Amino acid sequence: MSRPKKSAVFLCKCGPNIADFVDLEEVAGWAEKIDGVEMIETHNLFCSPDGMNAFREMLKGKSIDNVIVAACSPKMHEKTFQNLAGETGINMSRVQIANIREHCAWVTKDKTEATTKARALISAALCRAEHAEELEHRTMKVNTDILIIGGGVSGMEAALTAAQAGRKVYIVDREVSLGGTVIKTEEVAPNMECSPCMLAPRLSLVKDNPDIEVITNAEVTDILGFYGNFTAKIRKKARYVKDNCIGCEVCFAVCPVEIDSPFHLGMGKWKAVHTLFPGSVPAAAVIDRDACRHFVDQSCDECRKVCPFESIDFEQKDEDVEISVGAIVVATGFDQDDMSAYPRLGYGRIDNVFTLSEFERMASSNGPCSGEVRLKNGEKPGAVAVVHCAGSLMDDGIPYCSGICCLSAVKTGVLMRAQNPDVKVYNIHNDLVLDGPDRSRFFSKAKKEGTVFIKCRDTGTVSVSENNGRISVTADGLEPVDVDMVVLANGMRPSVGTRELAEMLNVEVDQDGFFKADHDMLNSTGASVDGIHLAGCAAGPCDIATSITRGRAAVGDAISRLMPGREIELEIMTACIDSEVCAGCKLCISVCPYKAITYDSEKQVCSVNEAICHGCGTCAATCASGAARAKHFTDEQIYAEIRGLFVS
Amino acid sequence: MDKPKVVFYWCASCGGCEEAVVDLEEAILDVTAAVDIVLWPVALDFKYQDVEAMDDGSIAVSFINGAIRTEEQEHVARLLRKKSGLVVAFGSCAVSGGIPALANLTSREAVFERSYLTSPSTDNTEGITPVTRSDVDGHTISLPRFYDTVFKLDDVVDVDYYLPGCAPVPDLIIGAVKAVLENNLPEKGSVLAPNRSLCSSCDRNESKPEDVCISEIRRVVDTKIDPDICFLAQGVICMGPATRDGCGQACIKGNMPCTGCFGPTDNCEDQGAKMIAAMGGIMEGNDEQSIRRVLDGIVDPAGTFYRYGMSASLAGSMRREKQK
Amino acid sequence: MSDFDPRIIAFVCNWCSYAGADKAGGERLDYPANVKLIRVMCSGRVDPQFVLSAFRQGADGVMVLGCHPGDCHYRSGNVKAMKRMMLLEMLLRQFGIDAERLKLDWVAAGESEKFQRITKQMVEKVRELGPLSLDGYVKSEVA
Repeated sequence: MSRPKKSAVFLCKCGPNIADFVDLEEVAGWAEKIDGVEMIETHNLFCSPDGMNAFREMLKGKSIDNVIVAACSPKMHEKTFQNLAGETGINMSRVQIANIREHCAWVTKDKTEATTKARALISAALCRAEHAEELEHRTMKVNTDILIIGGGVSGMEAALTAAQAGRKVYIVDREVSLGGTVIKTEEVAPNMECSPCMLAPRLSLVKDNPDIEVITNAEVTDILGFYGNFTAKIRKKARYVKDNCIGCEVCFAVCPVEIDSPFHLGMGKWKAVHTLFPGSVPAAAVIDRDACRHFVDQSCDECRKVCPFESIDFEQKDEDVEISVGAIVVATGFDQDDMSAYPRLGYGRIDNVFTLSEFERMASSNGPCSGEVRLKNGEKPGAVAVVHCAGSLMDDGIPYCSGICCLSAVKTGVLMRAQNPDVKVYNIHNDLVLDGPDRSRFFSKAKKEGTVFIKCRDTGTVSVSENNGRISVTADGLEPVDVDMVVLANGMRPSVGTRELAEMLNVEVDQDGFFKADHDMLNSTGASVDGIHLAGCAAGPCDIATSITRGRAAVGDAISRLMPGREIELEIMTACIDSEVCAGCKLCISVCPYKAITYDSEKQVCSVNEAICHGCGTCAATCASGAARAKHFTDEQIYAEIRGLFVS
Repeated sequence: MDKPKVVFYWCASCGGCEEAVVDLEEAILDVTAAVDIVLWPVALDFKYQDVEAMDDGSIAVSFINGAIRTEEQEHVARLLRKKSGLVVAFGSCAVSGGIPALANLTSREAVFERSYLTSPSTDNTEGITPVTRSDVDGHTISLPRFYDTVFKLDDVVDVDYYLPGCAPVPDLIIGAVKAVLENNLPEKGSVLAPNRSLCSSCDRNESKPEDVCISEIRRVVDTKIDPDICFLAQGVICMGPATRDGCGQACIKGNMPCTGCFGPTDNCEDQGAKMIAAMGGIMEGNDEQSIRRVLDGIVDPAGTFYRYGMSASLAGSMRREKQK
Repeated sequence: MSDFDPRIIAFVCNWCSYAGADKAGGERLDYPANVKLIRVMCSGRVDPQFVLSAFRQGADGVMVLGCHPGDCHYRSGNVKAMKRMMLLEMLLRQFGIDAERLKLDWVAAGESEKFQRITKQMVEKVRELGPLSLDGYVKSEVA
């Protein structure tokens, strides 16, 4: 057994703050008699420059093991004293603070009682220090490259921001082109900006940036590793078109197969060989294997024959690649709520009932009707009803407000009037979510220019029905509204595949299925695991401006933590698992909020990844065999502290 | 040279530990050939006086099983300590109180009342209960005092080694006997079983998911248990994570959850409290109400978490509030 | 009973309840000196073994104070603490120990007054209950 530990006890008067309420002379006299206490020093104010000097000098040249500082709260000066003691070679773990100010002098009226309590607190610190184990500062090398999953507006802006900082960025999208949802909209409210004009330059910048690698028609299949050291496996699905394709569309003309276009939300068609939209990034087209006659029955080769650049490659295969990055930004966007789930709204049943996105597509100049909104029979609509909160604010629909549909719902009328000044527009709404100067003005203008706003107490009672070839929209307490077209302002749901991606990334989703933020205020762009960041609507419904801001904030956070040439500091007081004792029961893994523990099925033991452990200690409490220990808060230290409180 | 002297003695015991020795089967012949058993009440006819007559320390090892709850048991335990070089606490009762120690949740009065007066199969109209002294036909008969508290062996004597289990398994018994005979023993105070919990050798461990979340506690008596899946994953309380390995998982293989008879590993102070700590991490519920709903499924926490370890629990025996 | 000074140990989590106790100090909100605090990083660190050990070593009452549900610095450590303490309370009752000797509560960093109030209440409550002589055995029966 090593020689008994020598302790130094420092008593701070803190001016009158402690000295007037605790009899420090008595405490010093008591401490002198304790076995192992080699020196006792009192000072008026240890945290002052003079006090810190004195502290330093007092320890110099003495072979002291444990330092007990009876003073103010450790939240004030624990670090200060740890650093000072560190100068004389004493490890930070051996510096214990006895809080005799906030927890004693300042809250105990009777001086005798306060003195007794001070002794107990110092005694506890002495006993605790006996079991101190060396703690060390540790750093870790990190990869500074970034992976962005999702190439919509927030993903693209995140990519540009990271590239600006000189990082290598991978942007992966499962669609055949970047652009996300916003590219499907022509004019964005409230300033009615042209979305393609806004996005085209951004798409260009992303395409031309040598630090950004664009991987489309691809999906992430696995993520391994952890913060600073991720490996992502990506499957690039075959396009059957080589990268040298410039999207000139010559092959479109000769392709004999026409199919419904998902880009046009089923309202238009494209050929089996197609690009997502003119100006896609990348420009290369893609062939729909299930529709293409070459694949179905080898009966066609027309596109290959006409391609001026020999870009058609029917033999192309899926390709799996692996990339190493330091952080991942999830920018997977959102999906629209499916209106066919609400039969009373007539969607899919009654002609000329559209969702917001379908309306946007129709109104877009690159849409199925070249921007002219028409009824199914080809006529111009004379009266349009826009139903706000369609399927939203309902327990059996979307229980929350998505916050942006009102804006698009008001925009509907503005777009309709631009095409036909005589059109009647009725917005049936509950509360209107149109905050801020720009949106409020947008609303007032729309109202002034003719949109009739009909307040409906309970939009859950809105019913859309056919009525003599026209459409009747009714609701509790409302006069029926007679129109020939209905637009349902539907809410936002998490993107398809969110749950699977969340599992792959080992991050949490919230009760609505969106990726859950680490902290809704302090860290709304961080996921529940270090190194994974959330951009855009992946973290919850928001508008375009917020989406982009989140993207920049998310990647900004990522790149400011992962700086080239700089290693990251790791948490000091992590947990660790004794592999000699660990049975591999894995209960610790169930309780770790940071997924910092992994099970090795060969060795059949668990181990803590100290790079991502946050030191909460719940695994140490959970471990029923005592194999998991929380550094600096071990069982031995706590039992000793309890003992110390009672023996004084 | 004389063969080493060995004692097998039972205190408050069910006899299962004696059976465990018999379970050694043929190996028992090797044991009896190598040693001289000088006290084994269940099998041989030696008397206490024979032991009293021996020199102190002349018995190589005494394997004492059973808990201590009577004057006689304490007396003989102390006698054997005096006369033995080594004392091994044999079986869960000696190690931590065992099943008899569950009586620490009640009192001697209550135990006597139930056993001698109110139990359905008792016919005791005169209301006779044991007393320490009675005079019959001019003679005085005495009975050992029956304690209010059930103690473990090391509460009354210094114990050298602990052999846990209800009952200990043949492998570990042979190992212990050999270690003594060959003088190849670990540090004094050691438990003669691996220092890892049962999950390390349990075949069902791989089936335990990495996110155990029990929404409903299910009991063996009212649930069909899947024989291949981890008990905890099925909502059945299994003490495996908090219990030392070494038993060969007889219970698990019989599709019954571990009840904790091998006691905790070295790194734990209190087996029951440790299992409660683990349970707290793997039960469903985010607020008091939903947690209460799950907890209502644990009908007898003390019996579940301290089935064999009541004498070793930090909280000790049942306390009635009383003035110091 | 009224001259009995109950000994209370309170496990306080570093982020919320310790800060709340510090704030009580800053505001000079006094409470009985027999309440002594032990810092842990999270209430989820508090092992039921610690609670029982505290009782065993002389505490008449034990408090476990953490962040309010939803505010845990480590996401849900406090919920685990709640589950453990609720189960422990069931056990204490079976052991004949009044479960009011164990108090789990939430103290935010700004709740200095709550800290003062609940510590004072705990002391009074435990004073009423009397000392917990938990030495585990009826000593007189061991010769």
